[in-house]
Amino acid sequence: MKVPESQFDIEAIRKAYIGRKGKRKDGLYPVEHDPIRRHEHMTHGLNPLFLDPAYGKKSKYGSNIAPGVMTDYFAGDGTWPSWGGGPDIGARMGADPELDVPTLGDRAINLSTTWEFLAPLKIGDVLWSEPSIADVYVKGIKIDPKAVWIVNETRFYNQRNELVALSRNTGLRHRAPEEVAAEAAKA
Amino acid sequence: MSIDLKPLPQTYFEDVNVGDEVPGFSYKLDWTEMVKQVSGSQDFYAVHHDPEFAKSGGHKDIFYNTGWTRANLYRLLADFAGPDGWVRKLHFEMRKMNRPNVTIQVRGKVTAKEQTAEGNLVHLDVWIENEEEGVATPASGIVILPSKA
Repeated sequence: MKVPESQFDIEAIRKAYIGRKGKRKDGLYPVEHDPIRRHEHMTHGLNPLFLDPAYGKKSKYGSNIAPGVMTDYFAGDGTWPSWGGGPDIGARMGADPELDVPTLGDRAINLSTTWEFLAPLKIGDVLWSEPSIADVYVKGIKIDPKAVWIVNETRFYNQRNELVALSRNTGLRHRAPEEVAAEAAKA
Repeated sequence: MSIDLKPLPQTYFEDVNVGDEVPGFSYKLDWTEMVKQVSGSQDFYAVHHDPEFAKSGGHKDIFYNTGWTRANLYRLLADFAGPDGWVRKLHFEMRKMNRPNVTIQVRGKVTAKEQTAEGNLVHLDVWIENEEEGVATPASGIVILPSKA
């Protein structure tokens, strides 16, 4: 959420947002074979643990499992092919208004992601997730000395409420070059 | 119709040494791969499949999305871990882009190994590189491997 500089108080924002939890999100579909097949086609992967029902049944899991990086896919409701980008990017990508941290700019850059995989995603599992804000801070980048860095943490659970994975994503929001130049001109 | 996929070979903790290279895999990003990227990731944002849209945003061309990136890195780790191993962690940084018509190499190198209460952990540096950008996506991972004992 872009706010004017007069309303931007990073200490107040840190106090209000760090540790804040968003709404629970439930997966629309259970963990199922066909998305896994498409996912593996994308990488030329031929892992029978993901792809071969007979092999999965005989495996230690008793079922095929999904690649761990598909956790958020199965815990979400997905985007839809009719959408190719646009100003409603936040809504389309399922951004939670509760976690929309005030920032000075609205240009976004995704920087890094860390996944921890704690339990297998078996065919038929139903996943849900709980997002939160882990950290917010100001750290300058080349194009904006007041870029706001946001660390989102999401915990993923299965239908037995077992924690199956967690992800931490670090991104930033910055101002457009003309906004930075306008501020510099004022000073 | 049935499928006949060979089980992946098993890597054992004792057989892994710090400095070992994981040769990984490679393929060219032709237009079929672009379509597979959208299908496999279900990311329909046009910057990843529509060159005109990408150029209108100041980009040189379309670039492959985050879902595709992490899928390739995860595949490298899962292939290395084998059927009885487990990919425990993946960290990656989207530093540069993978664009159409380059050939990507997905590779890794063992950086450490340790026995903990959680299991036999092997730490790796992994990455995606291409001839246009060099290492586009530096990353690291941890896999848990079975022991021969």
